Amino acid sequence: MLKIFQRLWQVNWAEQWQYRANLLMYLLYWLVSPIIYLAVWTSIAYSKGDVNGFTANDFVTYYMTLLIVDQITSNIVIHSFGYKIQDGTLSGELIRPIHPMLTNALVNNISFKGLTILGLTPIWIILFFLFKPDYGHVTMVGVLMAIPAMLLGFFIGYLLSAAVTSLAFWTTRVYSIHEFYFALILLFSGQFVPLSLMPQIIQNIAQYLPFQLLLYYPIQLILGKLSNAQIVQGYVMGGIWLVVALFLFNWVWRNGVKRFSAVGA
Amino acid sequence: MHQMTIIVEQLSKTYKVPEREAGFGAAVRSFFKRKYKDVKAVQNVDFKIAQGEIVGFLGPNGAGKTTTLKMLSGLLHPTGGKATVLGFTPWELKSDYLRSMTLVMGQRNRLSWDIPAADSFLLNQAIYRIPDDEYKKSYKELDELLELEPLMKKPVRNLSLGERMKCEIAVGLLHRPKVLFLDEPTIGLDITGQARIREFLREYNKRTGATILLTSHYMADVTALCERIIIIHQGQLKYDGGITDLSRKIAPFKLIGVMLTDADSHDLSGYGTEVRNEEDAEKRYIQVKAEDVTTVTSQLLAGLPIHDISITDPSIEDVIEQAFNQ
Repeated sequence: MLKIFQRLWQVNWAEQWQYRANLLMYLLYWLVSPIIYLAVWTSIAYSKGDVNGFTANDFVTYYMTLLIVDQITSNIVIHSFGYKIQDGTLSGELIRPIHPMLTNALVNNISFKGLTILGLTPIWIILFFLFKPDYGHVTMVGVLMAIPAMLLGFFIGYLLSAAVTSLAFWTTRVYSIHEFYFALILLFSGQFVPLSLMPQIIQNIAQYLPFQLLLYYPIQLILGKLSNAQIVQGYVMGGIWLVVALFLFNWVWRNGVKRFSAVGA
Repeated sequence: MHQMTIIVEQLSKTYKVPEREAGFGAAVRSFFKRKYKDVKAVQNVDFKIAQGEIVGFLGPNGAGKTTTLKMLSGLLHPTGGKATVLGFTPWELKSDYLRSMTLVMGQRNRLSWDIPAADSFLLNQAIYRIPDDEYKKSYKELDELLELEPLMKKPVRNLSLGERMKCEIAVGLLHRPKVLFLDEPTIGLDITGQARIREFLREYNKRTGATILLTSHYMADVTALCERIIIIHQGQLKYDGGITDLSRKIAPFKLIGVMLTDADSHDLSGYGTEVRNEEDAEKRYIQVKAEDVTTVTSQLLAGLPIHDISITDPSIEDVIEQAFNQ
C-alpha cells in the first residue's frame, strides 16, 4: 500500500509540475480575498482602535495564519474529480483495485497543495514584511497542537467535498451544488471574518458544524486564544465529524457508483 | 468439460435517457417536467464462456456489445439478470476480481496523458502489486511483441493513436489477468500493428490459458482469433456458436462469379440474385443456395459465353450483416 501511495505521488507530482503556471494563477486568485479582508479589517481597526475587541494586529495575525491553515485544510476535489464522473473518464479508475477517491484523488490533492505551498511561501514572507504581524502570543505548544487539528480538518473537509462531488453520479454536473457548499464554508468556517465577530446565532450554529474545524479552530489554536476546555471540545467535535464524514461519503459513493453510466469511451 | 469462467444469465440493462424535442419551448417544458425514454441496451442475454476460450463479440454500433463488456468488467450495474466471472459478481468491484481481469477500452483508460507512459506502467505495477521480477518479465514480453521501448519516455499525449493503443493494451496486461475484455483492441492500428496484437493475444491465451472476450470491427481479428462468436443485435442474442457454422446456419449461400464476353448484355436474373462485389468488378456475381450450386453452374456454362467462373463463400461480413437483418 505504501508503494502505491509512493508511485501515485510520483505521478501526481509530475503532473502538477506540468501545470505549474496554471497553478500559480490559481494561487494568486485564491490569495485575493483573504488579503482584501486583511487590508479592510486592519484599516478599520486602526482608525477605530479596535473592532469588538479585535485590534489591528489581531486581524493581521488572524488572516496571515488563515493563509497557511487554509492552504493545508482546503481541497480541490470538486475540480479534480467532478468532471471524471460527468464525462465517464472515471471508468478506467473505477476498475482498478484501489479506491479512486481515497487513493489517487487524495494524493492528487496533496501534491497540488505541496506545490501551492511552495508558491505561497515567498508571498507569505513578503506579506509578513508588509503587515508586520506580532506573533508574540504564539507558543510552540499551540503550533504543535494545531498540526493534528489541521490534519483532522483536512480529512473532514476532503471527505465532505468528496461526498458533495459524488452527487455528480445523480446530477451529472455538480458545480452549482458545490458553490452552495462553499458559501456554507465561507459563512461558518471563519474565512470571512473571525467567527467571534459574527452574530451570536451564527456562532452558536457554527460550533456544531464541521466547517470551523477547517479554519477557525486551528487558527485560534495556533494563536493561543483557546481555553483548555475549548481545545478539548474542538478535538472531540473533530473526531465525531471525521466519523460522520466518512460514513456520509461512503454511503453517497456506494450508491452513486451503482448509478454510474460510464458514458463515452 | 472446462470450468466456466464467465456465466451470464438473463443479463439486461435499460438506460433511462432524458428526451426532448428541439427548440426553446421544449427546453422550457423539459425544465419543469422531464420526459425519460427507456433504452433497452441489453435484453435477457445468456451465454457461458469456458476457461481459455477466445470469443468474438459482434454486432453493429449500438447493439449492446460495449454495455455488456462494461457490466462484465463491473463498471455498470445491470437492471436485471446475473453474471459471474471467475466466481465473482463483477459490479461488486471486489479487489480480488479487479486484480484478475482487465478491460481495454478506447484510448484513454489507464495511461495518464501528461506524463510518460513509463510512469503509468510503474504506477500500475504498484496498484496491481506485481513483484519486481514478475514485472520485468511481463514488461519484456510485452516489449518484444509490441515494441514499447521507444514510446515509453514520451508524454502520452504526444503519442499517435496506434502507439497509445499499444501502450494501453500493454499496461492493461502487466498484471497477467485471467480474463480479458477487449473493446476494439486493434482500432487505430496499421495492418502490421493489428497482426502483432492478434499474434500477441493468441500467444498470451496459449501461454496463460486466459479467457478472452473481444469486440472488433475488423473481421480479420475475429477470424484469426476466435473459434466461437456471439452476435448481438438491438440488445438481443442472435447467434452463439462456431464461426465456421455461422455461414451454414445463417446464410447457406454460395457466390458464383462469371466473366462474360459482352458482360452487360446478358440477363442473369433467371439464375439467381445478382449481387455486387466491389473487390472483383470484372466479374458479375450471383448468389445461389448452396444446394443449387452444381445445377446453376451447369446451366450458366451451357447458356452463356463464359471465360472464367468461380464459386466462393460469401464473406463473413456479408453473412453477419445478413444475420443482423433477420
